[in-house]
Formats: sequence, structure tokens, C-alpha cells
Amino acid sequence: MTVAEKDEAETADSGEGQTLELRDIVKYYQKPGQGRVLVLDEIDLVVEEGSFVSLLGPSGCGKTTLMNVVSGLVEPNAGTMQRGGRDVSPDDLSLGYIFQEPRLLDWKTVAENIEFALEARDVPKSEWDERVGRYLDMVGLAEEGDNYPSRLSGGMKQRVAIARALAIEPEIMLMDEPFSSLDEITARDLRQELLDIWHRERKTVLFVTHDINEAVFLSDYIYMMSQSGEMFARRDVGIDRPRNYDDPEIAQRETELYREFHEHVVQ
Amino acid sequence: MERARRYLWNAISVASLLALWYLGSVVASESIPGIAATLDALVVVLTTPGPYDHMFYYHVWKTAEMLFVSLAISMVAGTVVGVALGTNERLEGAVSSWIYAWLAVPSLVIVFVAAVLVGFNASSGYVAVPIVITPFVALNMWEGARNLDPQLAEMAEFFDAGRYQTFTEVIVPQLVPFLFASVRSALSIGWKITLLVEAFLVTRGVGFMFRRYFDQYDLTTMMSWLIIFVVFLVVIEYGVLAPLHERVTAWRPEADGVRVTE
Repeated sequence: MTVAEKDEAETADSGEGQTLELRDIVKYYQKPGQGRVLVLDEIDLVVEEGSFVSLLGPSGCGKTTLMNVVSGLVEPNAGTMQRGGRDVSPDDLSLGYIFQEPRLLDWKTVAENIEFALEARDVPKSEWDERVGRYLDMVGLAEEGDNYPSRLSGGMKQRVAIARALAIEPEIMLMDEPFSSLDEITARDLRQELLDIWHRERKTVLFVTHDINEAVFLSDYIYMMSQSGEMFARRDVGIDRPRNYDDPEIAQRETELYREFHEHVVQ
Repeated sequence: MERARRYLWNAISVASLLALWYLGSVVASESIPGIAATLDALVVVLTTPGPYDHMFYYHVWKTAEMLFVSLAISMVAGTVVGVALGTNERLEGAVSSWIYAWLAVPSLVIVFVAAVLVGFNASSGYVAVPIVITPFVALNMWEGARNLDPQLAEMAEFFDAGRYQTFTEVIVPQLVPFLFASVRSALSIGWKITLLVEAFLVTRGVGFMFRRYFDQYDLTTMMSWLIIFVVFLVVIEYGVLAPLHERVTAWRPEADGVRVTE
């Protein structure tokens, strides 16, 4: 690395331009009898630092696959990933993952579940107590550290999963329909809390959902995907925060996006 | 309260069995030994000194030795085979039918073949018993490995958990119920095979005692030996296995002190 290159690298590190850019991502699976099934068709995705970005699309459109290209759980067949203008692999990114299900280890207490992630990420043991306490407190479960997940409600389990993802202190949070299996009342509470945490902790969030209302309420901008694995639009939400569920603007934006989806699918 | 009621029913069922035994021994006194006579024989067996300490102690110890060494071998071998089958589809396709064939071989045949190949002594028991009970363990662990949650595996992979951490903290806990089921079935089958080996091939152990008193038509003493070993196994179950099981599955919601928070 020459001095000039090094300078450039440092500028990129410290500068604001830590945008994550995926270009021409292609992913297909070989399925017996069907040949090659295309899941991601030359997808471009830009996740600006500190923003809340949603991937919106019907079930089976490949949005989870796309997110797993970022997470490294899926290896794309083609395409590039850059951050701040430099090629990166998922290993170079600082990521937290919240799955659709809480995916907690039922045989460990709430605190031990978080410690599982801390141990896996080689966080020094001396920091565990402080981190477990801080992030459980952040999701409103400060009292539940010694409790077992099987004794918590679905919403509380998902809070633990959020605390676990936050505890490794990632820069980017990946969320795969995290509230879709919760009842709507619990889900609304959690969405509001998520926005508070996102705002306070200055995280970048990449959020997968099939719920247009949820995407509009949460996001800065939304990528729309069709069932054929194609990304057909990027739309800014453009509604001031803090947002309100009853805000007619949200309902109106939702209708517009729905119409766009509908037209695209019909064509 | 619930617990007290369970004990009560347990006591009632034991009492009914004793009553049935008593009734049988009165009606068919020539073939069923009486309770009092059996107890007398039991006292004799428990107090008679043998060449190596007390008679009952020596023979029960020898049987337990063969049983638990075989159990240990089978648990390791069966778990390796079962988990390999449950996690590798190619292996499963190639080998699974052999497990069923293995299970179909009568244990008596295995004991005899082991005796012919290894010799008419205790060593053949250490070969035959593990061979008989390993497929039962393998079958259980195979089922357990098939039920491993791929979502948890993915979670562990995402958080970069290493092989060791994933194995001890994610995989083994999921296999715990199957491990206990395996130990229980291997123990109950294993002790029958151990007795078979002892009755046919060696001159010590509870199995040998059964043969000796069978040769003398002494049903009463056979009965007292049966009681000794059944009590031994019940003590293993309630004194070791059940508390251990309860301890390692304390996280389950149906455990005592459940607190569901909503």
C-alpha cells in the first residue's frame, strides 16, 4: 500500500461516505427438474450510513436472500459489494442480525443468550456484564436476565434477539421481518422502540418486510422487489419524523406504493 | 399436593402388585413362591458372606460392571453413528437399512457368535452387549440429529460461533432428551443381555445366580435375586437419571416455579 493509497483509505474510513453499495448481484439455485432458478437478477442496492432502509416485496421475492448476501450466509454467483468505495466482503462488515424468529437458545437464560453472541464475537469477558445490562435495559428487559426464554412472551423474546444483535455493537443491523409473527399491538410497540434505538444509537438498518405500512412507517427509503427477483424501484418515504401511525400521510404513501406494486405485478 | 397424590397412586399400585403376588402364591403355591419365603431368601442372599465379600455385593457389582462398561461404549459408538446418519444424507441413504438389519439380529445369536469368536468367558460379554445395544442408541440419536434446528445453526454461524461453542452450546443441548432416552433404553435392554451372557458363559454375576438357582429348582432364591436387581435399576433411575434429567432440563416451561411473563 503506497502512502497515497493509505491516505485515501483513512479518509474513506473516517469520512461520512461509509455507504454500502451492492452492484449487479446475481444469485441462482440449481433445482432438480427445474434447472436454474434465478432468485436475484442483477440487483443494485445502496444503503447509506445511518439510514433506515427497507427491502419490500411479496413472499418469495428473494429479499431475504439479498440480505443474506450482505450477511455472508449466502454466497452470490456474481456481483460486487463496496463500502465507502472499497471492495468489502461480509466479514469486513460489522453486522447484527435479527431473524424473523427470535432464534434464542431455550436452555440458556436471557443473559446467557446474549453472552453466547459476545463469546462468539470474542468480546472480552470483563465487558459482558456491562453490555448485557446495558442492552437488556435498552429493550426494556433489565429485570429478565436470569429468566428463561420459554417463560417470555413472543414480543419479549424478539426484544432479547434485538438486545443480542445490539450487544455485539454492530454498525449495520440486518432485520428479516422481525415483527411479522407478533400480534399487531406488540409489533407497533416494538417498531416505535426500534426507531428510538435506531435514532439514539445512530445505527444503519437494513429491514426486510412484506408489509407496506410497516416499511412506510419505519424507513427513510424503500427498495421494491418483484416476485421475479428483480428490484424495480427505489422510493423515498419523505415523511418527517417522529411519525405517527394515524398520520394520513402514511396511509396515502402506503396507497401509492401499493398501486405501484400492483401495476408492476400486473404488467 | 400434586406430588403427594402421585406418590399415593404409586404406593397403591405397588400394594396391588404385592396383593396379587400373595393371592397367586396361595392359589398356585407349588409354582409361585410366597412373599415371606422370598423375603427370607432375600435376607440369606444379602447376608451370606462369599469368597469376595458379601455374595450379593460381588455378583451385583460384576453384573453392573459389564452393564455400565457396555453402556458407555454403546453411548459413544451409538451417538457417533446416529449423529453421522442424521446429519449426512448420503451416509443415511447408504447405511440406514443396515441399522434395521442389525436390530433384527436376535441378541441370543449375537451372544453365541461372540462366545465362539472371543471365547467362553467374560470378554465375549464386553463384545456382545455393546453390539446388541448400540443400534438402539444409534436409532435414538439419529432421530435426535434429524431434529436439529437448522435456524439455530444459522444463527450460530452468523454470530461466528466456533465449532466447539456450536457443538457444546447449540447441538448437545438439543440432543439431551434423546441422550436420556438412549441411556434408558440401552440400560433396560443391556441388563437383559448381560444376564444372558452371565447365564450362558460365565460363573459370576446375577445372571449366573439365576442359572445356578434355576438348576436347583429354587424359584424363591431366583425371585430374591430378581428383586435385588430390579431395586438396583430403580435406584439408578430415580437416584441418578431422573434428578440429572430434571437438572439439565430446568429451562423447560413445565418445570416447577414457572413464571410466564406477558
